[in-house]
Amino acid sequence: MHMPFEQKLQSSADLDIINNLLHEGVNRRKAEELLFTRYAYFIEQGMHKYSFAEEEAFDIYSDTILSAIPKIIDRSFEGRSSLKTWLFQIFHNKCVDFIRKKTTNKSSVNKSVGIPEVLVQVADSTKTILQELMDRTDKDQIRQKLNQLGDNCKKILWQWAEGYSDKEIAVALEYKTADVVKTSRLRCLEKLRQLYNTK
Amino acid sequence: MKKEFERKIADDEKFAEEVAFYLSTKSVIGGEATNEKKERFKKLYEEYKKTNASKGQKSAIRKLWPYVAAAAIIAGILFGKNVFFQPSPQQIADTYIQENFQTLPVTMSSRADSLQTGIRLINEGKLTEALNQFESIIKNDTSSIEAKKYAGIVYLRMQQYDKAIDYFSQLASNTQIFANPGKLYYSVTLMKRNLPGDIDKAKQLLQQVIRDDQEGRKDAEAWLRKW
Repeated sequence: MHMPFEQKLQSSADLDIINNLLHEGVNRRKAEELLFTRYAYFIEQGMHKYSFAEEEAFDIYSDTILSAIPKIIDRSFEGRSSLKTWLFQIFHNKCVDFIRKKTTNKSSVNKSVGIPEVLVQVADSTKTILQELMDRTDKDQIRQKLNQLGDNCKKILWQWAEGYSDKEIAVALEYKTADVVKTSRLRCLEKLRQLYNTK
Repeated sequence: MKKEFERKIADDEKFAEEVAFYLSTKSVIGGEATNEKKERFKKLYEEYKKTNASKGQKSAIRKLWPYVAAAAIIAGILFGKNVFFQPSPQQIADTYIQENFQTLPVTMSSRADSLQTGIRLINEGKLTEALNQFESIIKNDTSSIEAKKYAGIVYLRMQQYDKAIDYFSQLASNTQIFANPGKLYYSVTLMKRNLPGDIDKAKQLLQQVIRDDQEGRKDAEAWLRKW
């Protein structure tokens, strides 16, 4: 249960972005882009403050925006600070993480796909089983089989993977109800699994 | 519910595989979506840099504005000073009198010399006494060019231009002396008097000074350049 969003600390431009992100539809994509551009100068700050290469600073800033968007959408961001302050805090933390990873020489290239947040509360033994199974999954095969799905399936799964709710997908892709989306989504997933298993 | 899920994952391998597949698929597509967004962001960033670079250029120009404006004002003042604030012939004459006739060089000599006495009196600002001194010399020796020169200078300083002109014209017409400033002094007096025709006459005299390479040629050239 999130607190009601506090608007008073936000500038009108930030409020527009937040509102467009909160309301599903074509404006969301535009709002994502506006959000990215509005604080893109963080990249330069990262380059000067932490001596990052431009590409490194860009990646960190992109990750900042990509992690901020779902938090704004699910209202984890409650507006208790300005959007800028909040984003910069995320950016700063990611910069520090990056430096730490760099100095401890931990590469994320071979890192396995993590357990999603919805499964954080399950027992460690369950997590271990799922993690091992996920590590055994052939990701390239999934990518390949995805292309064999029809466009409608691909669109639904794409939106679902991006974190949109069935209700939001129904609005965006013009389905009658969220339940129709849910049924279609599960069918698409099953189809993909069948294609995957027939390798 | 949670316990039931955990139990099923542990006991039902097929179910566990289904869940793992579900999570992997979400992760794979999510990764693809993230990559697509990052590509979109990359393009946006390139556009942002271009816009920012032109803004930077504009702001650099904007930052230079005060200096450009100051330079333009200074250039304007200098140009205006040269074009609109050229010294008038009278101002040129004033400057010349101030610089050359205020304090005159005195020859160091123990001999009592009436000419040197007159010059000392000029330097002391005793113009009437100096004039008496020079006119007394001229009275005794009407060919005394030096006395006439100083008498003319005193009259000029006393703003009795006609009398000054009288002496300087006598000086100018004398062809016996080598360094003769007569025409220059004559023209200075005309410039200072500034009656109708005086400036034209002064100009002619200065041109003669230049042509004949007489005393004061450099001054004459400089003044004529300003006219």
